[in-house]
Amino acid sequence: MHVQDLFKTATTGVTVNKGRSLLTMLGIIIGVGSVVLMTGVGKSMEGVILGQISILGPKSMALWPGNQGPEGGPSTARSDFDALSIDDIEALRSLTTITSIAPIIQMPGAARYGREEMTPSTVGSTPEFYQNQTLEVTAGRLHDQSDEEAARAVVVIGSDVVEELFFGGNPIGKRIDFGDRKFTVIGVLKPVGTQFFQNADNRMIIPFNTAQALKRRNYIDMVTFQAVDDFVVAQRDVESFLRQRHGIIPPADGSTENDDFLVRTAEQAADTLSTVSMGLTVFITMIAAVSLVVGGIGIMNIMLVAVTERTREIGLRKAVGARKRDILRQFLIESVYLTLIGGIIGVAGGLFFSYLIALVVHRVLDRYLFAVNPASIVMALFMAAGTGLLFGIYPAKRAAELSPMEALRYE
Amino acid sequence: MSSKGSSLIEAKKLCKSYFNEGLETPVLFDIDLTINSGEFVAIMGPSGSGKSTLMHILGFLDHFTSGSYLFHDEPVLRMNDDDLAKIRATRVSFVFQAFNLLPRTSVLENVLLPLLYHPTIAASERMDRAMKAIATVGLTDRAKYLSNQLSGGQKQRVAIARALVTEPEVIFADEPTGNLDSVSGRQVMEAVQQLHEHGHTIILVTHERTTAEHAERIIHIRDGRIQEDTKSFKRRLAKEASTLAK
Ligand SMILES: Nc1ncnc2c1ncn2[C@@H]1O[C@H](COP(=O)(O)OP(=O)(O)O)[C@@H](O)[C@H]1O
Ligand SMILES: [Mg+2]
Repeated sequence: MHVQDLFKTATTGVTVNKGRSLLTMLGIIIGVGSVVLMTGVGKSMEGVILGQISILGPKSMALWPGNQGPEGGPSTARSDFDALSIDDIEALRSLTTITSIAPIIQMPGAARYGREEMTPSTVGSTPEFYQNQTLEVTAGRLHDQSDEEAARAVVVIGSDVVEELFFGGNPIGKRIDFGDRKFTVIGVLKPVGTQFFQNADNRMIIPFNTAQALKRRNYIDMVTFQAVDDFVVAQRDVESFLRQRHGIIPPADGSTENDDFLVRTAEQAADTLSTVSMGLTVFITMIAAVSLVVGGIGIMNIMLVAVTERTREIGLRKAVGARKRDILRQFLIESVYLTLIGGIIGVAGGLFFSYLIALVVHRVLDRYLFAVNPASIVMALFMAAGTGLLFGIYPAKRAAELSPMEALRYE
Repeated sequence: MSSKGSSLIEAKKLCKSYFNEGLETPVLFDIDLTINSGEFVAIMGPSGSGKSTLMHILGFLDHFTSGSYLFHDEPVLRMNDDDLAKIRATRVSFVFQAFNLLPRTSVLENVLLPLLYHPTIAASERMDRAMKAIATVGLTDRAKYLSNQLSGGQKQRVAIARALVTEPEVIFADEPTGNLDSVSGRQVMEAVQQLHEHGHTIILVTHERTTAEHAERIIHIRDGRIQEDTKSFKRRLAKEASTLAK
């Protein structure tokens, strides 16, 4: 058989039964498409998670009341929500292993300007807060020690607050209503996007002393600070200092179980996140594997269903003079066609949907960007081609080994 | 094509059993048969007597269990897969009772099919040959029709066109009129008759006496054995009459 005839025959074989070809391709499209999609989403999520880690400086640390930290639920719902007093914080300043201590009081409530109203996430903290979170202004200034000393009613606002209350106009010097008081806007923060799955541009910061005067309370919700040198040393130092002050005896195994506070380093936060990221990768790989199997079973089924008809066709072709290799080559080319076309559509579809998802998710999760995982695309294509070839060629080879009559009688 | 009268097919003590899951069904017993080039042979016998089985073996479509089969004095047992494929492509062809056309495929493509596997007919010649074969069976105006858009008689004529397109020495036809009404049956038999007049050896299975009488020789099979092998009387009369007329 001539090469042109071979290709023409294979093309006819694929096009003459469009339904069968489409179903076969569908298996490949689903398998390849979902692998490309899922691994793309996984890669985008990884980008989000890695982005979180880079927000905190490597020496940044945090301290929470209660021994579960932020995972323990809303601050007021935790049993030890008032475990860290302002006196504790003042005492911590005596430690030489830590610096840049920024106590934080959360200030829930609505902010108004004229007829506009919104609910930003507002905190009262000291100027160290800006250093620890590497925050900068695009207009005006950050609040400073003199604002703290005078407990001034000033506020530094995020870019989304500017959008919502001032429609992007210049807010500096304007007065915002917040918690029965008027706060003068002194600075606008540089946008930072989403951090730890929360919109970080939707916030307001007021001086710590002003917040304390408003709330009239002597405990804080969180502290950020920095290690002077080694953060493991700093962590141990803070832990033993607070245990001593609170009269806590740690269990023999040295765990933090008895503590009424929790210290974390940026590194530990990164570890937690990368554990999450690993879990995500495993999960996505599993889904991808399942889709490949599902796609593979689809291909297999269609091919096996087609075996009877194709076996007779093979018998007929042999009866009119086809050699075994003519048959095998025809089926090889047919399978390559189907897996190639299905594979290409699958990759294109997978990329298209991960792009769509990225478009949507990016609006809420700023650092979620369209990403492609090339290795998984190659792997998916090989797997699809493997199944396609196996289930396309193996039955053909078996049929081609029969006598023409045995193949024609097959049912 | 080899000269008329020389031995084309020579079967000696040919036996065939089917094996299904270890169960042996013996079907043909010690068939001795010689057919010369250019003969028109009809094989008759009751249903289940082994006519089709014999045709498939002689037509290179199935294996036999024992005995010998010489084709042009060449032992078929010594031929490998490629030799057999080459004979099927060039020297013999088969018309099945069940048509066996490619589904969802046009008349033209069905007739072109054997030419794809023919080692010597040039690609440029194919279209002419196929259209000529289709014209021979009177289906020129149906060439573009799909095989499933045809009547039974038309399908069988396509099968005949497919059998003659490579101009093989021998055409095997297994009850070609078995599924057809009498008008279609007659048209098909006229086509077969023409092939014989053009020098093809014809081996035809039928259980209709009128059909068998187109042949010069009738072989009767019963229970897998040849019972009778006779020259067709009517046919001989007709032949003699035509020579006399000349
Ligand atoms: N594939 C097969 N397996 C087992 N037995 C078969 C098979 N094909 C035919 N036979 C048996 O062989 C005998 C002859 O069949 P066949 O050659 O088709 O007869 P005919 O064409 O004369 O009607 C029958 O008894 C039939 O049942
Ligand atoms: Mg039969």
